[in-house]
Amino acid sequence: MNSEKRTEILEIKNRFPDSYIKDEEFRGDISITVKKNKISEILKFLKDDENFHYNYLVDITCVDYLKLNEIERFAIVYNLYSHKNNSRIRIKTPVPENDTSISTVSFLWKAANWLEREVFDLFGINFIGHPDLRRIMTPDNYTGHPLRKDYPLKGRGEREKFKVVK
Amino acid sequence: MGIETLIKNNVLVTTVDAVVNWARKNSLWPMPMGTACCAIEFMGALASRYDMGRFGAERLSFSPRQADLMIVAGRVAIKMMPVIIRIWEEMPEPKWCIAMGACASSGGVFDTYTLVQGIDQFIPVDVYVPGCPPRPEGVLDALIKIQRLVEQDSIIKRK
Ligand code: SF4
Repeated sequence: MNSEKRTEILEIKNRFPDSYIKDEEFRGDISITVKKNKISEILKFLKDDENFHYNYLVDITCVDYLKLNEIERFAIVYNLYSHKNNSRIRIKTPVPENDTSISTVSFLWKAANWLEREVFDLFGINFIGHPDLRRIMTPDNYTGHPLRKDYPLKGRGEREKFKVVK
Repeated sequence: MGIETLIKNNVLVTTVDAVVNWARKNSLWPMPMGTACCAIEFMGALASRYDMGRFGAERLSFSPRQADLMIVAGRVAIKMMPVIIRIWEEMPEPKWCIAMGACASSGGVFDTYTLVQGIDQFIPVDVYVPGCPPRPEGVLDALIKIQRLVEQDSIIKRK
């Protein structure tokens, strides 16, 4: 295996030295962990750069590391794909429990609109600047964010309180 | 020469109820409310091997206004329940309802935060079909039970 870092990692290290936290490579797939303050600039760079051209947003999701001693409790994960180079990259960004806000990327990819709504609905992450941050999976008047690991399986009475209003 | 010799065997005397119910029970138009995996098994019940058409119920009605039998096949989330209630209310009387599978009947294994624990909390269910998913024979049996219910109906007074 070559021990050289992929150019994506080096470029992000160079251009965003304050944001870079760490990188991992597993069987040719790279993931880079960055701080959340410049996340939209970093993704914009990966998208618009002539060489990388990560033009396709595969997914935005979130991980809740409740008791796993990670950097912060949550991590937002962006999976990108480049049609030009046929390559994939994963950008992770830790989000602390007491400040669950992060800049939106819906102005870069329209697909991000609903993906961010999903993360907001199920994890309660607040995407600053999102044009329409409503719940998408659970009913509009639902309370709570069910995919958080400390959310009880049977809910907090939402199911029982649910009444159909005619 | 009485009237019987004139009309011979060409006339049957019966009640309106019996004729109407006979027609209704042999031409049930189900509204397939397939919300999950049970709907796949429901297709099996409809297809040629089990063939719900033998009981006159092969004509699925995707417009609730033309349906008289709702088959809720699958689990129902609390977000979906208002939709199902609305469709149920759009169906004209007389109407019947089958809760197909463990999920529609009781929530099944999904004792979770948004799942309706049995649709009978919200709409009246006539026949429950157990199983996960029920065998097509179970669905056919439920259909026959619905036919027995239809037979007892009256056009003057609903039972
Ligand atoms: S009863 Fe089983 S097959 Fe039917 S919807 Fe529920 S999980 Fe799926």
